[in-house]
Amino acid sequence: MEDSDFDRLLKVCRLRLGAQERKRMEADITEIIGYFNTIDNAKVDDLEPSYHPTKISGKLREDKVRPFENPDQLLKGTKTHRFYVVGPDL
Amino acid sequence: MPTTKPNPKFAEELSKLNKKLNFMSVINSSANGKSLFSVKDNLCVKGFESRAGSKILSGYIPPFNATAVQRMLDSGYEFVGKTVMDEFGFGSFGTNTDIVAKNPFDETRVAGGSSSGAAVATAVIKNHVAIAESTGGSISNPASFCGVVGFTPTYGTISRYGLIDYANSLDKVGVMGRRAADIRAAFDRIKGADNYDSTCSDSKISSTPTKKLMIIEQLMKGIDSKVLSSFDLLLSKMQGMGYKVEHASLDIIDKAIPAYYIISMAEASTNLAKYDGYKYGEQGKDFTKKYNDFFCDARSSFGIEAKRRIVLGTFVRSASVKDKYYIKALKFRTALTSKLSSILKDSFLISPTMPTVAPKIDEAAGLSLIKAYSMDSLTIPPNLSGLPHISFPCGYANGMPIGAQLISSHFNDYALLDFVESWEKSFKYEFKYNL
Repeated sequence: MEDSDFDRLLKVCRLRLGAQERKRMEADITEIIGYFNTIDNAKVDDLEPSYHPTKISGKLREDKVRPFENPDQLLKGTKTHRFYVVGPDL
Repeated sequence: MPTTKPNPKFAEELSKLNKKLNFMSVINSSANGKSLFSVKDNLCVKGFESRAGSKILSGYIPPFNATAVQRMLDSGYEFVGKTVMDEFGFGSFGTNTDIVAKNPFDETRVAGGSSSGAAVATAVIKNHVAIAESTGGSISNPASFCGVVGFTPTYGTISRYGLIDYANSLDKVGVMGRRAADIRAAFDRIKGADNYDSTCSDSKISSTPTKKLMIIEQLMKGIDSKVLSSFDLLLSKMQGMGYKVEHASLDIIDKAIPAYYIISMAEASTNLAKYDGYKYGEQGKDFTKKYNDFFCDARSSFGIEAKRRIVLGTFVRSASVKDKYYIKALKFRTALTSKLSSILKDSFLISPTMPTVAPKIDEAAGLSLIKAYSMDSLTIPPNLSGLPHISFPCGYANGMPIGAQLISSHFNDYALLDFVESWEKSFKYEFKYNL
């Protein structure tokens, strides 16, 4: 993997690594991708992908409207301003 | 349900042993030793810190119980504590975290992973079952290393509501115990459909017996000779009990490890994307920072293995290589599940659970990444295919336990418990501690 590709990957992952950690990580990633490549010769192209190992119903529960019991508790761990939650700069 | 008389000094004795073996992150000080259950740190317990072995979730105290936990409490079990684990389940030795559990048979050795604490708790507490979770072998592996019984049910049999996700299509809540009967009692109470988990099934669990034990030849490569000796002895005893042992060849099984890691890392990277220091995870304080800087700062709390899996999982999902890795691995799962299910129509699959006894803690740390990932070679196939499996002690070598693993077809979970209950009539498990 090119350095620029690895940098882009880290950016997408929102990970910032120190120089040593980056060096180690890049070597690890290269080694493991090499290992992943061994799946290349599996003859499975004609098969459907299994997103789950068993059949699942995926049935969702019915929506029910109910009042939130304790909105103050919900906001307890946040910084607020005039009923708005304060977050980092966009 | 395992019961005994209450012991008023139980919590004190437990804390003392925990200082020695590091298997619990939180102890319920009111527990008194009667009908106990512990909970792996990635399952939410109301009012008790639940951080999935990760610093990024430090201080998170859930306001609700996971379904499995609630059902245990409703059945009269008493919560004893949270058991330590590899960060988010990312490991085979219980060492990818800040609290490293020690093996109760030899404190210089690992307890296995990722449900390290659950296995140690089961090995040291006599009237107890552990609620644990497996993605690629996280129940069988530590159960084998610590000499207890570890049961991983069919995918979707027990609700994942309240589980801090690793990989949604692979995660399975399961149970560890000192006897199969204890596991059965807990399993009966926590299985079944749940409105809060759309992947949870209400399929009937069967108990279809078979007298045929199948061994997959490719899985028997690289097994330590002491493990092989114990396993051969088990097979001889089984033959004496009327079982027929046969061998099968399954060439594709050597691709199960890369396929598993591709799928699990892809899913893990999406699950861990939510830890932004704001909505999820340890709270950042400096809101003057730009969002991306704030986000990156929060995520510096992840350990090295978590970061590695985020990077790899994000890579294999990239548009340019998604078909080559992620979709191919999903197709491989179709092929493997079909082949294994075909074998399991009229037989159980049997193998050692792990290729070695528990390694020394420093030996495990010295393994290459590929070698460490390959330690799960025997536990990954049933996990990738969502098949029920159980690990049980089948022998001891130089004082260390050795486990065997039995696999059955989807939803034939009770047959595995029946088999191990039968085995326990002729084989006595050893325990060093009996709290």
